[in-house]
Amino acid sequence: MNALRRHRELERIWSSRPGWRGKLTTVNNNDIGLMFLFTAATFFVIAGILAMLIRAQLATPRSVFMGPEIYNQVFTMHGTIMMFLFAIPLFEGLTIYLLPKMLGTRDLAFPRLSAFGFWCYAFGGSLLIFSLLAGIAPESGWFMYPPLSSTLGSPGINPDFWLLGITFVEISAISAAVEIVVTVLIYRAPGMSLDKLPIFAWYMLVVAVMILTGFPPLILGSLLLELERAFGMPFFQVEAGGDSLLWQHLFWLFGHPEVYIIFLPAAGVVSTVLPVMARTTLLGYGWVVAAAASLGVLSFGLWVHHMYATGIPHMGLAFFSAASTLVAVPTGVQIFAWIGTIWKGRPEMHLPMLWILAFFATFVMGGLTGVMVAMVPFDWQSHDTYFVVAHFHYVLVGGFVFPMLAGLYYWLPHFTGRKRYFRLGETAFWLIVLGFHGTFLLLHWAGLLGMRRRIDSIEPGSGWELINLLASIGGFVMAIGFALVLIDVGVNAAVAVRGRRNPWRAATLEWAMPAPSPSYNLASLPKVLSRYPLYDDPDLPLRIARGEGLLGNPRSGLREILTVEIASGRPNYLVIFPTNSALPIVMALITGGFFVGMLIKAYWLLPLSVLAVTALAVWWAWSLGSSEDEGPQPVGHGLALPPASEMERSPGWWGSLFLLLANGVFFGSLLFGYAFLWTVAPNWPPPTLLEPGLAGPLLALGGAALAFGGIRLADRAVRRDAAPWLGLLLSLAGLAALAAAAVTVLARTTHNAHAYDATLWVVAGYVLFHATVAGLMTVFLTLRASAGYLSRVGEVRVVRLWTDYAAIAALLGLGAAWLPVALS
Amino acid sequence: MTDILRISVPLTAWLAAFSAVYGLQGLVCSQRWADAGLDLTAGRIAMMVAWAAAVALQLVFLLALRSPRFVSRSAFVRWVSLMLAISALVATLWTLLPVVTTSACL
Amino acid sequence: MLVAISGCEQRLSTVHPAGPAAEAIATLWWVMLIGATAIFLLVAVLLVLAFRRGEGPSGPEAETRRERVWILGLGLGFTLTVLAALTIYGLVIGERLLASPQPGLVTVRAEGAQWVWRFSYADAPGRVTEGVLHIPAGRPVDVEITTADVIHSFWAPRLAGKLDAIPGHVNVLRIEADTPGDYAGVSAEFNGRGYTNHRFTVRAHDEAAWDAFLRGETR
Repeated sequence: MNALRRHRELERIWSSRPGWRGKLTTVNNNDIGLMFLFTAATFFVIAGILAMLIRAQLATPRSVFMGPEIYNQVFTMHGTIMMFLFAIPLFEGLTIYLLPKMLGTRDLAFPRLSAFGFWCYAFGGSLLIFSLLAGIAPESGWFMYPPLSSTLGSPGINPDFWLLGITFVEISAISAAVEIVVTVLIYRAPGMSLDKLPIFAWYMLVVAVMILTGFPPLILGSLLLELERAFGMPFFQVEAGGDSLLWQHLFWLFGHPEVYIIFLPAAGVVSTVLPVMARTTLLGYGWVVAAAASLGVLSFGLWVHHMYATGIPHMGLAFFSAASTLVAVPTGVQIFAWIGTIWKGRPEMHLPMLWILAFFATFVMGGLTGVMVAMVPFDWQSHDTYFVVAHFHYVLVGGFVFPMLAGLYYWLPHFTGRKRYFRLGETAFWLIVLGFHGTFLLLHWAGLLGMRRRIDSIEPGSGWELINLLASIGGFVMAIGFALVLIDVGVNAAVAVRGRRNPWRAATLEWAMPAPSPSYNLASLPKVLSRYPLYDDPDLPLRIARGEGLLGNPRSGLREILTVEIASGRPNYLVIFPTNSALPIVMALITGGFFVGMLIKAYWLLPLSVLAVTALAVWWAWSLGSSEDEGPQPVGHGLALPPASEMERSPGWWGSLFLLLANGVFFGSLLFGYAFLWTVAPNWPPPTLLEPGLAGPLLALGGAALAFGGIRLADRAVRRDAAPWLGLLLSLAGLAALAAAAVTVLARTTHNAHAYDATLWVVAGYVLFHATVAGLMTVFLTLRASAGYLSRVGEVRVVRLWTDYAAIAALLGLGAAWLPVALS
Repeated sequence: MTDILRISVPLTAWLAAFSAVYGLQGLVCSQRWADAGLDLTAGRIAMMVAWAAAVALQLVFLLALRSPRFVSRSAFVRWVSLMLAISALVATLWTLLPVVTTSACL
Repeated sequence: MLVAISGCEQRLSTVHPAGPAAEAIATLWWVMLIGATAIFLLVAVLLVLAFRRGEGPSGPEAETRRERVWILGLGLGFTLTVLAALTIYGLVIGERLLASPQPGLVTVRAEGAQWVWRFSYADAPGRVTEGVLHIPAGRPVDVEITTADVIHSFWAPRLAGKLDAIPGHVNVLRIEADTPGDYAGVSAEFNGRGYTNHRFTVRAHDEAAWDAFLRGETR
């Protein structure tokens, strides 16, 4: 087979259907990555227009351009869209597009999940934009503090759009994170051991784990606030035992890691692009990996620094002040590693490098003001003023947007296959950078002069007028710059001349393929010998195209890909990926039905959509795997690999593991909330405590033991080629008992009586939900077994993971519910 | 899998200890602590014990990561996990230092 | 005229302190500004130099030496030292500003609501003022801050930092005005459509006027 025939054959197998309809059913990472990028860019334009409205309002004193009812929606939506609908999806899109290529593989771990995530993002985002156009957008600020955002402060539908729309969008963040983790861990080119990972992959591994642990508290908070608003469950109402501070803890438990979740992908781009621009390799690769990892964890110990002014005792604040300064150390390590890299090489001044220099200037200033606001006393003055507004725009624009623009211009030849010909980009660079500093530098000073954020007009004689006029002018200059970038990219993508492969002479594998990239990414999977495969062997792209790597001979229309052992990168299993399907978009639509039903209080929609989603999920899972035990298949070079789905640690097992990590953080946050209310909320202890009785605890203990033992019995039976029925039945009975135990808690409490009762409802509901999910999975397994699919243990292990989780959650959750009475 | 644990456990333990001491501090300053008949001195001692335990745990990780029984086969993982264990120890010492320097409940 | 304008422009300024707490924080700000400027210039110089010199030596030894200079020296050593010093300085100041027990203390209560502030006085039971908080000048005052509805924040920038009014909680903020006069205050946590104009005044009295206020002679 020659290179051209191989290309045609692989294209036929991996590409989406032609035309725009193909985009609705595509599951290919090239399509989905670009769809994410386009959608994120659209939301950026919308939020940018809102920013211009804000600057128009504040350009002159006593402006009557917008009243507070409009202005409050505008700034709330500006922040919300930029954070949730622009920043996160943008780097997700870039990662979905680039990561498989850099890792030397053909797609992400769960292609249909990528597509499902994208549609959740698109639909959830549309919900928010609809509210904006209809004039009923959220107006309590992007961090939505109750009671202002609850029924007391906002009786209308506005906050519901935020709570439900954002939660809907978060599905995409969680699913992308699961994909990224599993892809980096097991989907790589043969031989790519952990020390040979492209640095961007390390960064994204850290970011993805952070998303899995950082987003659940927000999802929990949104759920609780929505339950309070919809059903009067008083989690944040102090009279009924709630506490509005609980929201702040949950929100910032997400919100601070979020800042680093946004910064680290950008740092990954800098670490990738900067060495290429300096014609050298990254200085201190291991140090940078360690810095990124410690930054990832340390950033979870900072959340209270958004709450210095809430009256928490000084010692509590001091912990967080110390942690907030400590987090600057790994940041400093990276900054100096990058500067050292430039010293090491021969820097060339291309447009991506210009953006990186703008990043340095801007981000270092933002970091320094960040250390300032980490000082408790200074924050008492600067908190909620324009000093903080200026600070975080320096960090987010300087630390995210500028590196992303460096990345955009760096990978533009890859996206388009063209050489940049029209040079609008340089003009845009100066407009944006000068406009940005013109907007925000002096706003620091306005903040110190007492200008609060979120005020809808400035008074004459306040001393802030000139600063704000200049800021507005700077803002419009910056907006023109961004418009030029869009035009520049559009024009260059459409009409510029064809460029050569690997124009920057980079070392990473995304440049080892033709541009724009073919749908299958790599015609064969090369053996990787170092961190810089294209420096080792400049002819590698040719050899890949000639099919000299693994999986070079496409087989009977299957999307073939292989997994590797985590540490060594030794190939271990073969995976057949699913092909184009309408399932993800349909599933996302029906999931949307659930959120819309909640939003417009059409509660009859909820059970319908839950049933439909369940049915689709069963269909989705049923189509995977095969009823024949295929055994090892040839992958080239005389190597034969067994199919991964039958193994103990299948990709599905890994995906479940990390999904359960996020799930565990969600549950942990819920238990934290329970403990928090117990210690801090003023109206505790509650008037009546739940009596455990005898039935509930017995059901829980017995059920957990049965479920735990039953699924293991089934597991053993499958491994010995025996019938798994008894084990499956026992497990199912155990899960039913766990569900019944949860129901006893629900039956003995009134959901809206006190925050205590409301919390127990959510805990018991959570247990009930997981017992049901694991039960459904067990039924599924039984059906699979009777249809002859269960010759190997792969699927059993996935269900075993979920069953164990349900049992542990039941013991912990129901135990926490019964504990207070047992102690008293 | 075990390599991932080597890399992630010490810092995760820092986070757990940090959150636990912060929670303990909240408890010490709450009405529930007074209701239980305990005073601030008892509270500060409890926090200092927790801090010392967290530091001891980090030292154990550090020793374990150097011992032949737990060391990774990959030189790179060995080095990164050691660096991260050191940073977790520094983080434990640094971020919980206010336990002995700051007034407890003002 | 000029003085009047600049006086007006400093009404809410944190860098024109009129009390010990605001003073300490303003000093902290100026120290940090100088330090941050120095660090920024250092980074800028290092970046400029990177472009002005040729390629350095290569090889594993050169690499190790570079890691030692850039990462161990600058990345770890330099940042750790600066940050440790700053953290300790910040905590010492924070500790000094706390509402610790002290002789001659005056206690007042501030209740935020959408969109007014109501003040009451421990030394004059039953007195409630709306929009104006009366305090004695030159004496430490503890403001017990609470709310009737949503979250607000009590902030008189020339006297001290801000502290939130949280439903169900009472937070205590120590303020003090050096000299008698009117000091502007605002609500500093977004609280809905009336946020922009949710203001108050702190009126610091000399000793005689304070006594008169307590006796009910000042309205």
